[in-house]
Amino acid sequence: MKMKMNQVVLTGILLLVLENGVVPWLVPSAWSGRLLPHLTFILTIYVACFAGRHRAFLYGLGFGLLGDLLFYGNLIGPYGFGMALIGYAVGLLQERRTPTLASVIGLTALGSIALGTIVFLIYHLFRLTQWSYPFAFYWYMAPSLLLEVLLSLVLYLPVRKLLLKQAAPAREEAPS
Amino acid sequence: MRNKRLFILMIGLIVFIAIMGFTLGRTKLTWPEKFVVDAVGTVQGALYRPVAAVAEFIGDLGRLSDIYQENVKLRQALAQYAKDQIKYNFIEADNERLMEELGFTERQKQLYDYRYLIAQVVGSSSNPLDKTIRINLGERDGIKPEMAVTTTDGLVGLISRVSEFTSTVEPITGLDAESPQGVQVAATIFGKEKQSFGIIDAYDSANGTFQMTKIDENDPMTIGDTVITSGLGNVFPRGIVIGTVTNRQVGDYGLTQKATIEPAAKFDHLREVFVVVAADVNGP
Repeated sequence: MKMKMNQVVLTGILLLVLENGVVPWLVPSAWSGRLLPHLTFILTIYVACFAGRHRAFLYGLGFGLLGDLLFYGNLIGPYGFGMALIGYAVGLLQERRTPTLASVIGLTALGSIALGTIVFLIYHLFRLTQWSYPFAFYWYMAPSLLLEVLLSLVLYLPVRKLLLKQAAPAREEAPS
Repeated sequence: MRNKRLFILMIGLIVFIAIMGFTLGRTKLTWPEKFVVDAVGTVQGALYRPVAAVAEFIGDLGRLSDIYQENVKLRQALAQYAKDQIKYNFIEADNERLMEELGFTERQKQLYDYRYLIAQVVGSSSNPLDKTIRINLGERDGIKPEMAVTTTDGLVGLISRVSEFTSTVEPITGLDAESPQGVQVAATIFGKEKQSFGIIDAYDSANGTFQMTKIDENDPMTIGDTVITSGLGNVFPRGIVIGTVTNRQVGDYGLTQKATIEPAAKFDHLREVFVVVAADVNGP
């Protein structure tokens, strides 16, 4: 199973623009600081599952850093580091297995928690946040995690249809 | 093989910590950064603004029934403004004459002469620990770091970084009493500018309120008062609305008091903001 990397990168740019330009308007005002899905991160998990760990690493690094740079608040790098690491780790976990819907969703959930934790720890390390980890988890990590899982579910079919090179037609009949 | 991976991970970690440390608290951008930020910012603006327009239109439809009452209130306010305008004109003329007589320098005269540049928001960050927004005015339009940004409702934040065509706004919800480069807002009460003073230095995300500290015991501030910037810190221009006082109590050490402020501006779903440009008093 291979991915069409050119299209994947283009989709990534599109998702990045959507993430910061459209999603903020769809989230209701009361939840605007709490529901912050990272669309490029969801795609990174797909890349890790379908295209291998090295590509996921580069993809996560690139889009993470781009996101950091575009909304440069205090420092550059937390998302670049987190997404590259998680892309690689997920790719490593998925290396010998055929990705299924369940594994993609599960890995998105795990990865989302890991990414939130890494970014939180970096901000904590530099003393840029006064929140405690449980509060941060309750405040934005858990809601964003649920939304990311949902969006990952929504993206599953489009990704399979548009971004994967169909290996063999037999595969279509294979699932259970 | 395992060791090699671990080794690379360690190097990556070190490199990233170095990058983060290096970029921490830096206000200048290099040209590749500016290029990327401007390129994506322009594309984003083309998407953000139509979406904002549609979202606001739908929101407005829901508020149609309130329009009538709002109109009545606005008319009353307008009548009040017309009266105040006359008073203001007299006072301003007086003020100018007195400045002339007292021999104010050009710099002193222009100290409170602000211009408001309108800017469109082109995107907002998805990083919960570092909320920033981008606007479509940049160096070209004379924007500089540390300029105040407001909406029609009240103070929103400060310009933190500027590139050629766009700039980044750091909202005052990022205020943090213990952060290394903490910005503090010197504030006073609308109508009691001479007697009231306090410093807004923290934001509570869970309640969505600011904390105002260092208030004198004999301060006439009461619940429901409008808090405005005092301009004493020389960072924020004076007279920008921040919010209303909702609570006042004895402070942490018992010597001064602290108050809770409900922000006047909202910090999400922003579409248009104003950048406050103070007269360039240090320029030639």
